[in-house]
Amino acid sequence: MNRTILLIEDKPTLSDTLKSLLELYQYTVIVAANGAEGVQQARLNHPDLVISDIYMPVLNGYDMLEQFKQDVTLCNIPVIMLTAKTEIEEIDMALQKGADGYVTKPFVFKNLHAIIKKFIQ
Amino acid sequence: MKPQQSIIMPHDLLISTLPYPVVVQQHPQSQVVYANEAAKALCKQLINTKREVLLSDIKIILHDICQTEGNGSTFETRQPIPGKNTHLWLEVTTTTVMQGKDQYNVFTIIDISARKSKELSMIQSLEKEKSLHEMKSNFISMASHEFKTPLTAISSTIDLLETKLQMDNLLNPFYQHNISKISSEIFKLNTMLDEILTLSTIVSNNIEIKKQAVDVEQVIADIKYQYFSERKDDRVLNVQVSGARRKIYADKNQLSKIFTNLVGNAFKYSTDNPVLKLQFLKNKLVIKVMDKGVGIPPQDIPYLFNSFYRGSNVDGIEGTGLGLSIVKDFVERNNGTILVESEENKGTSFTIVFKYPPEITAQA
Repeated sequence: MNRTILLIEDKPTLSDTLKSLLELYQYTVIVAANGAEGVQQARLNHPDLVISDIYMPVLNGYDMLEQFKQDVTLCNIPVIMLTAKTEIEEIDMALQKGADGYVTKPFVFKNLHAIIKKFIQ
Repeated sequence: MKPQQSIIMPHDLLISTLPYPVVVQQHPQSQVVYANEAAKALCKQLINTKREVLLSDIKIILHDICQTEGNGSTFETRQPIPGKNTHLWLEVTTTTVMQGKDQYNVFTIIDISARKSKELSMIQSLEKEKSLHEMKSNFISMASHEFKTPLTAISSTIDLLETKLQMDNLLNPFYQHNISKISSEIFKLNTMLDEILTLSTIVSNNIEIKKQAVDVEQVIADIKYQYFSERKDDRVLNVQVSGARRKIYADKNQLSKIFTNLVGNAFKYSTDNPVLKLQFLKNKLVIKVMDKGVGIPPQDIPYLFNSFYRGSNVDGIEGTGLGLSIVKDFVERNNGTILVESEENKGTSFTIVFKYPPEITAQA
């Protein structure tokens, strides 16, 4: 059975490409355009893993992580954050809020895939 | 009630001809008992009149000033001129003088309007410059971050093409070579963006320094894993540690950027495995980043840490000329020193020294 990944990213070009890439590796991909939509989709579909951007409209990645960690049905889903900054503070903040891993933009898919495989294989 | 009368001031003649206004007020009756010619001229200017002003008028005209008490105090006051959309800035010094049993307040007034106007114009210019500086810095920061999204989309699309070609058994050496070129250029552009962003925060003085006790060996292990592992050319960073491990007091983020840059350069300008030596000496930590690469021509060494300066022998090797300028700034912000030794075609060695803070004791 295919593993399901919820991809939360507000830039359609990037989310389309990542979706296609993940699908090539046989993942089922659900896409959400912001944190609020991401929380909603996670409650509906219970994905095996979440990949999320940080800076998004409506609900950003940090606040979304908080909602995930406060919800007993979502708190055990691993979350990988995509960050545009390489500042240690930003990465520390994501990890403090409960992220399980991160990659900095731009990234090599191979590296993102290695992290994905750590959690759902 | 005694009629108001002029008093005979010592050196009356001198005061009456002084170019700046002097007003004498009797205490505590508050009557103005003396005003020199300059004071009368000032009052005429303040009420915008050509008629003579009397001592009794002066108390009303200089109401704000005459209310002030205090011996030796100096203050500035802004006096509007009626009928003219302008004002005068006055600097007033009050002095208390005793003459027998009588006490007088002496107000010495200087017109500082010209100075104030210059000050105001300077403040406005500084504020304008500050605002432009902030705008520029915010723009660079915003632009650098915004560039990352399309860069990520491009690099992911390249990954998608490569993966699809590979899965369909169509990835021949021609495609592989050119896809690698695009991918490599994307990451070079990303490094340049990071350097420009870092330099803009340094130049605009917006950089925050968060010093804490840092395990340098761990910082090096992190950057080695994050940036210098699984290289396509199979080269590795050779880390050598000696001495009793101690923490230093520094900004972890800046340390990480210092080592990433120096090690990145060592890989870029050589073909062997760079060496990073951590020497925990008694009073200081000495860090050496060494390579056996192209080296730096002697004439370039004095300018090596200047922004945008690039060695004369590195044409064709990408770089912004910003990295070492950032490294030096970060080393100095963390109270360290940096030295470079190099010989052309033999290699380069950067030595950074950080002294231990007294409160951080040796670790077991």
